[in-house]
Amino acid sequence: MTSTEIARVRPARTPRRSGPRSTLTRSSGLGLGIAMIWFSALVLIPLAAVVVTAIDGGWETFWATITNGQTMAAIKLTVFTAAGVTVVNVVMGPLIAWVLVRDRFWGKSVLEVMIDIPFALPTIVAGLVLLSLYGNADSPLGIDIANERPAVFLAFLFVTLPFVVRMVQPVLEELELDVEEAAASLGASRFTTFRRIILPSLAPAIAAGAALSFARGVSEYGSLVLLSGNLPFKTEVTSVRILSSIENDNVAAAAAVATVLLAISLTVIVLLDLIQRRVAARG
Amino acid sequence: MTYVLRIVATAYLFFLVAWPVSLVVTHTFDDGFASISSLLQDPDTVVALQLSAYVAVFSVVINTLFGVGISMLLVRQEFPGKRVLNAMLDIPLSVSPIVVGLALVLVYGGRNGWLGPTLAGWGFDVIFSTPGIIMATTFVALPLMIREIVPVLEEIGIEQEQAAQSLGANAMQRFWRITLPSIKWGIVYGVVLTLARSLGEFGAVKVVSGNVLGQTRTATLVVEEKYLNFDQQGAYATAFLLAMVSVACIVIVAIIRPKNHS
Amino acid sequence: MSIEVSGLNKKFGDFVALDNVDVTIPTGQLTALLGPSGGGKSTLLRIIAGLEKGDSGTVNIEGVDATNLPAQKRNVGFVFQHYAVFKHMTVAKNVAFGLEIRKRPKDEIEHRVNELLKLVHLSQFSHRLPSQLSGGQRQRMALARALAVEPKVLLLDEPFGALDAKVRKELRDWLRRLHDDVHVTTVFVTHDQEEALEVADEIVVVNEGRVEQVGTPDQLYDEPANDFVMSFLGEVTHLGGASLRPHDIELETAPRMAGAVEGTIARMVRIGFEVRLTVLTVDGDEVSVVATRTHARSQRLEEGSTVWLTPADGATMVPRMAVAG
Repeated sequence: MTSTEIARVRPARTPRRSGPRSTLTRSSGLGLGIAMIWFSALVLIPLAAVVVTAIDGGWETFWATITNGQTMAAIKLTVFTAAGVTVVNVVMGPLIAWVLVRDRFWGKSVLEVMIDIPFALPTIVAGLVLLSLYGNADSPLGIDIANERPAVFLAFLFVTLPFVVRMVQPVLEELELDVEEAAASLGASRFTTFRRIILPSLAPAIAAGAALSFARGVSEYGSLVLLSGNLPFKTEVTSVRILSSIENDNVAAAAAVATVLLAISLTVIVLLDLIQRRVAARG
Repeated sequence: MTYVLRIVATAYLFFLVAWPVSLVVTHTFDDGFASISSLLQDPDTVVALQLSAYVAVFSVVINTLFGVGISMLLVRQEFPGKRVLNAMLDIPLSVSPIVVGLALVLVYGGRNGWLGPTLAGWGFDVIFSTPGIIMATTFVALPLMIREIVPVLEEIGIEQEQAAQSLGANAMQRFWRITLPSIKWGIVYGVVLTLARSLGEFGAVKVVSGNVLGQTRTATLVVEEKYLNFDQQGAYATAFLLAMVSVACIVIVAIIRPKNHS
Repeated sequence: MSIEVSGLNKKFGDFVALDNVDVTIPTGQLTALLGPSGGGKSTLLRIIAGLEKGDSGTVNIEGVDATNLPAQKRNVGFVFQHYAVFKHMTVAKNVAFGLEIRKRPKDEIEHRVNELLKLVHLSQFSHRLPSQLSGGQRQRMALARALAVEPKVLLLDEPFGALDAKVRKELRDWLRRLHDDVHVTTVFVTHDQEEALEVADEIVVVNEGRVEQVGTPDQLYDEPANDFVMSFLGEVTHLGGASLRPHDIELETAPRMAGAVEGTIARMVRIGFEVRLTVLTVDGDEVSVVATRTHARSQRLEEGSTVWLTPADGATMVPRMAVAG
């Protein structure tokens, strides 16, 4: 995952005077057909298989699986930690973006690259990286939180770092200084200007970044493998729970828990689509 | 106030990213180049690195072709269901890699999958084999290319293509001479990002690969394996190699991007 | 005749862009499609170029039925309002594009490109990228690019619309001179009546998807077919049941002529040698009148004076439309 793909919310298509009619020619229709077959084979059918497998055993089995004590603990840990991390990102993300856009100092471009590192770094390596400072008997900081709950929080914090920053940054860049100056000339204090002028313009970007950051946290796996120890009822997250079900050949249970995660992802995507549409409508 | 913000942001990034990452580098070189060279002499690790590279190249090629095609359709054409498709293309960004792996196993698993047994009957194994790893990797990296190209296509508009058309260029000539050169940089970024993501995929590959030493074990799986087997040096060295490639990727993007966008 | 359009209809959803349009554009002339924004003139031009497809009707270019011909086979030159330059190619490459598509020999292409760049005064910029040119230069390059393929007709969509006033005026004169040299049938879209009157040999007035009138600038100005054409080509006021130009009204301080309309001067503004008056007539009309400074002074006109209005001899007059617009 990457620097810029979240930086640019894809704008919704501009509404045309005509309704949703097709402009496909024979060859572009063929292209769309091929693309859809591949997309279905790779993404849609497999994801559908997860949901179908989950509800195959009936509603009671499904419910029993996800309310199983260990699974519930994992889901709770994942969702609450992801929510907590998102709150931190909502505060730190705009702050970092602000520094990157408005401040000028030596070494700023290094910070820019640092924001992208969690995207590009393989998640397993991310876990190892955090372990070397925060989960090690000979950690230079003397901190060892390996196999503890804060480790999960830390891992989520690392992998979700870029989302809010990269969403807010371009909006902040386009925000014109003269609007702030106008507010100031009308007697607004810096705090009032921030609260009444800047924050409302950044809100959709922050919300979109928060949604992505939450979704990423909930679905995280790789960075936790080495860091959290995957202890049931303590540091085991949902993805790990699914994996152990797969490894125990209990595919139905795995699919049931996976469906919960999919539902969360889908909610986030719908939310994102709505936010983007609102932004697009505002122009 | 400015200074406070600057210090807070810098300190946050230093403790969260810079310091931990630098430790991996120093750990790798605790004994000079010994750990790296011993890593490169281990045939199983070399096979894993090769497999990772092979899979990443496949994923990049597939996602580039798919990404360019679907982006052109999304931006240039109207068709029913476009909005839904547009939203669905983002799904891989927010699906857990483990769920991706599970989903592919459920459909392409050789024993019980929906399509797996049929494909196996034709002599084509997907799960626990290279095609499965490629599919898993392609799945997770799928939106990256599209998200790079779509804004560029929207920005350039269709006038240049129409001008070319009025000058006599047919559809193929317009694509090769006008559209492709215009989105060239978008594709370059997309390739770099897809490459980094593909090389680094871990969870989904872990589920579909079977993790067979010397056959379907990729570089990221090697990191885990070595660490759990108390070969810390080996783990750090492999992680260092992977980190180097991904950091190189983002530095390349950081360097070439401003030139094109200013 | 060079371009013949007949029975052309085009809708975008519920919006009627073109409503059964018939128009013929003469060979070798410089023709303007004039009308307000959203009136359908650009759509008409794009359908002639093949960039848009009409819902029904036919387009005939130089005797060939082009209705179903794709744009790349029509051999028309098209110049876009925002130039549509190929950003990744040099000026010379841009101009050469059409010839390269036609696989002409290299030395012929080079020769022709040089010739055209000289024609549009861009020879010294041939190796620059379009981003290094000014708006006016880009538009001239776009024109050279369209001319390179020796099109049967040259179509320009609001060619000077994105330029500032001064450059616009220069390019307008230059286009006129260029056309006198090259003589290719040229159609350009504009919403600026001054531009059309000044440059075009023939003007087609398009409004709300219909052709209102076709004629030379003089014909249109002197014999407007209706109130719309008249008001679009210049200022119009209403006296009695007719529309006429404010400077075509005679103003007297006594009722000398039969049929003169009595009124009071409500407002008087002097602009240079001109005096603009608003007269409230006894019929309740508000009439604009333009008089010379000398005339106003000799008659001792001032706000509140009572005056009598009559149309001047030879004034252009058109019956007033039911709903003025």
